Order: sequence, then structure tokens, then C-alpha cells
Amino acid sequence: MLNRKIAFVDLSEGSIRIEPFPAELRQKYIGGRGMNMFLLSKYYSQSLDPFSPQNPLIFGAGLLTGTLGFGSRVSIASRSPESGHLGDANMGGEFGAELVKAGFSHLVITGKSPKPAYLFIRNGGIEIRSGEVLMGLDTVETQQKIRSLLRDDRLQTACIGLAGENRVRYAAIRTGLKSAAGRTGMGAVMGSKNLKAIAVRGTDDISISDPKGYLNYYQRQLKKLMQTKWVQALGKQGTPLLFGPANLGGFLSVRNNQLTSVGKQGYPLEAEALERFSNGMVACYACPTHCRHRFMVDAGPYKGTRGEGPEYASIGSLGTKLGNLDLENILCAVERCNRYGLDTISTGSYIAWAMELYQRGIVDREKTGVPLEWGNGTSILKIIDMIAHRRGFGDILAEGSFARDTLGVSSRDYLLEIKGLPIEMTDERLPKSFALGLATSSRGACHMRSRPSMDVLGLPRELLRKIYGGPVSNRIASYNGKGRMVWWHECLHAATDALGVCRFMTAFSSPHALQYRQFARLIKLGTGLEISSKQLRTIAERICTLERIMLVGDSISRKDDTLPKRYFEEPIPEGPAKGCVIVRKEFDHMLDEYYRLHCWDHDGIPTKRTLNRLGIKI
Amino acid sequence: MRINVILKRCTGCHLCELVCSLFHLGVINPEKSAIRIQKDDLNTSMNTPIVCRQCKAMKCLDGEDVVEKLEKEQFLWEKERAGRCPFDSLNVLGEDAYHCDLCGGHPQCIRVCTSGAIHVKKGSSD
Repeated sequence: MLNRKIAFVDLSEGSIRIEPFPAELRQKYIGGRGMNMFLLSKYYSQSLDPFSPQNPLIFGAGLLTGTLGFGSRVSIASRSPESGHLGDANMGGEFGAELVKAGFSHLVITGKSPKPAYLFIRNGGIEIRSGEVLMGLDTVETQQKIRSLLRDDRLQTACIGLAGENRVRYAAIRTGLKSAAGRTGMGAVMGSKNLKAIAVRGTDDISISDPKGYLNYYQRQLKKLMQTKWVQALGKQGTPLLFGPANLGGFLSVRNNQLTSVGKQGYPLEAEALERFSNGMVACYACPTHCRHRFMVDAGPYKGTRGEGPEYASIGSLGTKLGNLDLENILCAVERCNRYGLDTISTGSYIAWAMELYQRGIVDREKTGVPLEWGNGTSILKIIDMIAHRRGFGDILAEGSFARDTLGVSSRDYLLEIKGLPIEMTDERLPKSFALGLATSSRGACHMRSRPSMDVLGLPRELLRKIYGGPVSNRIASYNGKGRMVWWHECLHAATDALGVCRFMTAFSSPHALQYRQFARLIKLGTGLEISSKQLRTIAERICTLERIMLVGDSISRKDDTLPKRYFEEPIPEGPAKGCVIVRKEFDHMLDEYYRLHCWDHDGIPTKRTLNRLGIKI
Repeated sequence: MRINVILKRCTGCHLCELVCSLFHLGVINPEKSAIRIQKDDLNTSMNTPIVCRQCKAMKCLDGEDVVEKLEKEQFLWEKERAGRCPFDSLNVLGEDAYHCDLCGGHPQCIRVCTSGAIHVKKGSSD
């Protein structure tokens, strides 16, 4: 597990350099997102244009990726063309595991290929090949074409679709039928490098330090994990199971967060409704949870739509957020985004913004080319096409937050974004921990950075104190202790992203799921490395603080760790969370607590003492 | 005794392959597993686990002067035997074929198959 290499690929020069993973950095950053951030920090500067050849696109498999490690994820980092700041996304599927089996942990891709290209990686070797025949293909066709060209149906490919080729600022990198490194526009960076795909095939052994001990420990932990209600439910319904509680509780994004519940009208979008399209569940590599439906629409106007998933995030973003309650249309829209290689969350969010501008007469039919009325499924599909092809109004929306410059001052208040990334499928005026998590997320508005999903469970206070190491309220609408909660989860997620473990099997949503102690043991048995659970948390803090330092270099500070104006100024007008709003003073208290636990100063700047403690050199 | 497969339940997670190689060889390598999942992951997503059926009449050993019972207990086989399997059930990498020895009576793959796609069936088939 420790002999995986780092490859530096310069597409302008056509050169490839392969180096070992330094042992010192393994101890400091583990792998995956942690090591990605270290590598990115070497290139990161305020003058680095996301679309310049100098901007690196970095792939990093987690330390446990490819093993019995509870998921097998790969993180992708760069300067983001969507936010203009820190770019980071990760995906499941099988690509990360295959990269590891081919002998690599990380790829650092710089430069720009003079002609369309793809990389072929096989058992320690890397070739840059012509990608001319792949151009214009969608993300599934691209993978199929490469398998056919290389005559190997076990080959795994990460690729971009038309959206990445056209540098839509929120283009994703995709693998398999469904997996996507969605947020922050990593696909657009890949497109700017003329890199259509990375195909990988590996048959190398992954050595295990204590095979018998590792297998026994894994099986014990697996048994415990499978007994949790959360994993059992997830394995049957997938993340759509979250739709019902969000709708019922009043923390769903509806019509660009003008409302936060659709009440009984939401029943057709609940998890049970998906079952009629499902042919069973599928899993990412080495995942015992299997949270994805393989689905097919076999009748009606969207007949033939097929794929895997969809996630609650996609159902919300392309559904209720757009006033769209037609599940079959949503499935079609999600699949269309996947095929084009568009992030479903950002795509839905920018369309929601445009729909609110249309509602308010800030843009009209002449400008948009299609009637952008709430819930108009035909228009939603059309505008997705226009965005991917950069046609007409789609060319404006393809710019994401940067479209503010074109759409004028009056458009700005209706773009709900944080650090350049739009708010997602949820409304956070009720769950205060969720709100703080969005405000402080290092990649811009994102629920996966630190969301303490456990906050909705109302667990006993004593249990919460034990988990979080301090007093935390068990009421979702309370601000008390939520700074601690967010800090704790942010650190845990940084560690699991460095390990390549999926959130869904960690204490993200269940107090009985995996935490630092189990990961430290898996590391020891798998690699022989002695990293205690306390050291693992320090590594997580290091990753978070290094990300913060890069943001500080972009002049980001407390003023940017905030929420959209609507959250502070517009109480939720109706529904289960009627009247909820974020009180600025209380929000500031949460922020203070969060900074204090990170050992950052009042403005959210890491102190010299903290940098010294964590061994971060600027 | 053999491993029975319920195709519809297979999620394609590969855990069976990973533990097979880890248990027998002390490394993780799905290519060196006696069970393998054939996937149609870019089309139908249907996953097909393929594993030795523990046939009564072992066509795989045709022409060999060996004791069947002893061969059944071996994990590493020569690749020629894979060519004789009428069900194409033996995984091959390089010069080796990987044969399901049922882990000495306690198949490890079953223990990690959380969807219940594989289970032990007593008795043997032909």
C-alpha cells in the first residue's frame, strides 16, 4: 500500500516523471485529498488562472482506496474555474481502485496538450495518446469507446463530456454510469488541458502488512456497520431516503429557496417512488453499503432513460429547487447532466437562479430563448442542452456565478452562493449546524465538507458530548455547540477523504459508524504505519488549515464565511419551518467557536502558532 | 458444498474478490481471486459473479492422473485446467488459474457479501 507512485505529467511538453510517495508526506497528509492539497499548495497563487496550463489538475487515491477500506474514492483538486478559488471534488466508482492497482496514488497533470489527448495508464506505465476520436462523445460513450479501442472491458476511465470540452465552469469529471467528481468544475480544467480522458488498467498486488489481522478486523467492523439502521436503510433506498425528512422538516430548497417544503406534493419524489424504476442496487468498489439504484424508465415521454442513482442532491437540485415535481423528468435531467458531464447540483442551482430572475422579470423570454417558468420540465431539459453546448442563454449560464457580470446588479441578490459556489438542494435556515457548515466550507457552499447529518437525529446530549468532546445542543434549530459540531465533522471528513473512505460509512450520519479509532487500526494492519487516532485527527486539522491558508492567499477571511442575504433577511414564509431565519449575532458566535477550535484568529486566519504546531510552511 | 449465486442481488462491489485473494495469498488483488464479477457496468449494470461450481464430474481434470479430492482443496491451479472448464468458471492471470477451494469449508467471500448474492449450498452439482 505504501509503494504507490506519484506521476507528474506535462501535457505541453509530452513529458512524464514518476516519483515515489515521500514517507514524510505520508505521515503528514496520508494520501487522497490530504496529499492533493499539499501538491496543490506548491502551485497555488493568486495569479494562477484556472484555465492556464500552469494550473495543475491533481488526482489522488486515498490510502485505503483499492483495499477493504469501506469505499474506494479518488479526490481531484485544482484551482476552480467555478469559484475562482480552491477546487476539490471526489468520486466513487472503480477508477481510484484501478489507479492504485496500476501502481499509482497521485497524478499531477499540468500544461495543455496541443491536440486532444487521453492518458493510458497500465501497471506502472503512462502513455499520452491521441484523443481526436473521442471528442464530442458523451461521458459513457467515451468510456465505451476507450474499452473498445484498447480491447479491455475491465478498464476504468475518468473522462469529461461536452460540458468539459466547452469549459462550462461547473463541468464534472465522470467515471462509470454515474460517479462524478461534480463540484468546483474539475471537468472544465481537464477540458482546458485538451485532456478528454484517463484510462487505467492495473493488475498489481496490493500488499497488506498483516493479512490475517486485517481480514479479521475488517470483518468485525463490517458486521457492526451493517447493523446500523442508517446503512441498512441506505442499502435499500440510497440517499433519496433523505428527501422525505427534508421536505417534512422544512429544510428543502424549493424555487430557489423562496420556499422550503412542498408538503404532500413531494410524495411522488420520495424514496419509495423510485422503487418502481429500480432493478436492484449497485455499489462502488469495495463498498458493502450499495446505495445506488440501477434504474430504467420503461414507458412514457422519458422512456429509455437509464442509469444509476439518482442521489437526493440531484433530485432536489433538478427537482424541487426548480419547482419540478415530475420524477421521470428529473431522472431524465439527471442523466442528461451525467452524459454531458455537468455537475447536477450546480446546474440545477444556476437554472434556479435564472428561473427566479425570469419570475421577477429581470430576464425575459427574449433573453432566455425558452420559457423559464418554475416546474417547466421541457425548458429544464432544453436549458441543460443549451448550457452544455454553450448556445444562446446557455452560454451565459455556463459561466456560473460569473454570469452576474452579464446579468447585471439586480440579478445578484437572487444568486445564492458562498465563495463562488451555489447553495445546493437544501435550505439551511432551520438546521443551524448545516448553515455554518456551508458558510465555512473550504470549497464554497457544500454539504459534503462538514455537514453533521447526525444533528437531525436529536441524540441524547450525553452521547453528543461524548462524541464531540464538549457541550452540544441536540435541537436542530439551536446554535449552541454547533461550531464544535461542524469543526468535528470537517476534520473527520478531511481524514476520510485522505483515506478514500466513503462518508456514508463514517460517523457522518450514524454515531455507531466508523471513526478515527477504526481507521487508525486499519492503517496499522494494512500498512504497518503507527498513526494513532489522535495523530489522525491532527492530520485532518493540518489538511483543513492548509486549505484555509490557500484561501487566505486569495484574500478570503471571516467576511466570506457567510451565508446568502436571503438566509439572514427573509424568514421562511410558510411550511414546517415557517419563520426560521439566521440571526447574525448567533451565527457569529458559532463562527467564533469554530475558529477557536481550529486555532485560527478572530478573522479566520490560522495563527503562526497553529502553523508551527501543524508543521505548515508558507 | 458449493457457492450458489443469486445474480439479481450482486451489487458489483468486488468485496468477494478482494477477500479471496487476501485470505489465500496475503495480498489484495481481484485478478487473483477464485470468484470474479463479470460486469456490464456501462450498459445494463448487471453483475455476474462467476465461481467454480464444484462439479461432480470434473471436466477440468480430464486427462490428468491426479486425486480429485486433493485437487479440490487447492487454490492455485495450472491455467490449462481453465480451458477445460465447460462453464468458463476459472479465473486466469499469467500462468495460474484460481480455483475455489471453499476456504477449507468456511468461504470468506460469503461473509462479506452484504447483499446476499452468494451463499453456501450443501451438496454438489454436475
